[in-house]
Amino acid sequence: MTLLLDLHELTRTFAAHRALNALTLQVPQGLLGLLGPNGAGKSTLLKILMGLIAPTSGSGRVLDVPLGGDRDTRDNWRLRRLIGFMPEADALVPGMKGIEYVALAGELYGMPRKQALRRAHEVLTYLNLDEARYRNVEDYSAGMKQRAKLAQALVHDPPVLLLDEPTSGLDPAGRDTMLKLIRELGDLHGKSIILSTHLLADVQAVCERVVIIAGGELRGYGAVAELCARRDDRYRVRVAGDKYDFEDALEAVGIKPLRPSPPREVRLVLPPGRSALDLFRIAAECGVGIRAVLRDDVSLEELFLRATAEVPVPEAA
Amino acid sequence: MTNPSENLLRYRPWKGELNPPIYASLAMARASLRLLLRRKVFWALYALALMIFFFFFYAQYLVVWITMQTTSQTVNFGSVPVKMNELTKFLDRLNLSGTPHTFGNFIWFEGYILMIVLALSGAVLVGNDFHHGSLPFYLSKPIGRRHYVLGKMLGIGGLINLMTTLPALVLFIEAGLLYDWQSYYWDQRMLLLGILAYGALLTVVLSLLLVATAVWVRRTVPLIMIWSGLFVLARSVAGFLVEVQGFHPVLKLIDLWNDLYLIGLWFMGADIDPGKLGPNPQPWQAAIAVTALGVGCLVYLRKRIQAIEIVI
Repeated sequence: MTLLLDLHELTRTFAAHRALNALTLQVPQGLLGLLGPNGAGKSTLLKILMGLIAPTSGSGRVLDVPLGGDRDTRDNWRLRRLIGFMPEADALVPGMKGIEYVALAGELYGMPRKQALRRAHEVLTYLNLDEARYRNVEDYSAGMKQRAKLAQALVHDPPVLLLDEPTSGLDPAGRDTMLKLIRELGDLHGKSIILSTHLLADVQAVCERVVIIAGGELRGYGAVAELCARRDDRYRVRVAGDKYDFEDALEAVGIKPLRPSPPREVRLVLPPGRSALDLFRIAAECGVGIRAVLRDDVSLEELFLRATAEVPVPEAA
Repeated sequence: MTNPSENLLRYRPWKGELNPPIYASLAMARASLRLLLRRKVFWALYALALMIFFFFFYAQYLVVWITMQTTSQTVNFGSVPVKMNELTKFLDRLNLSGTPHTFGNFIWFEGYILMIVLALSGAVLVGNDFHHGSLPFYLSKPIGRRHYVLGKMLGIGGLINLMTTLPALVLFIEAGLLYDWQSYYWDQRMLLLGILAYGALLTVVLSLLLVATAVWVRRTVPLIMIWSGLFVLARSVAGFLVEVQGFHPVLKLIDLWNDLYLIGLWFMGADIDPGKLGPNPQPWQAAIAVTALGVGCLVYLRKRIQAIEIVI
């Protein structure tokens, strides 16, 4: 089966700054999460994948189409036809109605005018925007705007969707709807999806695999389940009393607190053989009250820091 | 059997041939024009432009009517006799006789409204793409930067031609019908080409300039200020320096609309008589200035509209 991404020693430098450093990666088709903190090289990678900028060295393919240069060449246009891109920025055209916006996207992809319009109606109906199709896009709610952006990416039925922060600014219900749509597009309609986000939970909910990059380098690649397994032993404990006494007591019995941690909160890693119940006992012994024990639902940055600084994220088999 | 309404709600694949990117430019032009035509302020300004057109249209008719219908040297308005030459003096200054100067003058006067329309539309058509982050919407598609610029230019060009070339062509047809149409159309065929060339020149230069300035300043108010600087302040300064202070006419090159007017007259084969038009640079000098400006805009746009703009 053709690989979704096949990258070899992909490097991109901007003057003295190396945005991507010898990135080598083979990813099968499916749903892929792209994670990394700001400045990690995500943007650069996405731009290269879309043929908007050229790698300084190295080579790669997206579904067998070679990555080209940053010039407006036929190869790059071929690449961009493969990919439906949903940008993070609003990217809406003020004054345009939803149907016109999506139909224009279709025509920009090269669809004939009438087919673009018909397809825009279909896609908007599919994304539950059929009743709002004649409203101006700037009047849409945040969720509708995100769906309109997804519609314009989907209008020419590309095999690959590149979604940049698709749940950004959505309320929980809107987020769920968007994630459900993404999952459906991947699972039922065979789209390969590259989901670039800071939200680990989104990746968990949707993606089969995840790529972590930082400092322009590949720091981890593997199945999402594997990544999540590494979080099972991490807790955030909200305490009443001296948290430093509690940290000292934990260290004394071989439980390592993670620093830094917020005020009145202790973050820790439970070693094998220990359970969360032990925390209550230790707290009682040092006169500290426990108000809550929570799974450490870390941000991407925290996870990344752990992955690189504490527990190296292994390469997937 | 599947319920058809259910089928509509499902995702349906699409298969078909995709057009080359030039079609995307046409789609952008259509969308741009549609965005403008939807605004009331545009129609208000277009109504003003039409008033200029109708003035020329009926004045041209009036001149012919006066010439053809009155045999005496005076015309009585009620009991007041008015000399024929006094009556037509004002109209004569506008050269309403189907000559190159007729069309040159018409486009010159339309320019006042056109400049306001362009200043207002720059932000709508181009500035918003930068200001509202719509550029990724365009540049992430299989088109090049040149297709983006071309699409915007075509949209603006459509607007320019709607206000200048198209009504000028109607005036040309009218002039032919008022005189001996068979000989007029044949004798003035080069004038027709000149009008089209003038329209093409306005389209290219003004749309390029508008795209470049809108990319630069993005918002309506600064755009109007820059546009006013280019077409009002520069004209006043040029007039003051050349006509009041007596400096060399080449200084009038800073008046872009005048440059375009001189080149337009040249295209239409008009006499550029300093006695009639006042001191002016040569059309070739104006052509060099306009070309330099166009190249400058292109270089700026090439530098400014980068794929790197797509901040992901």
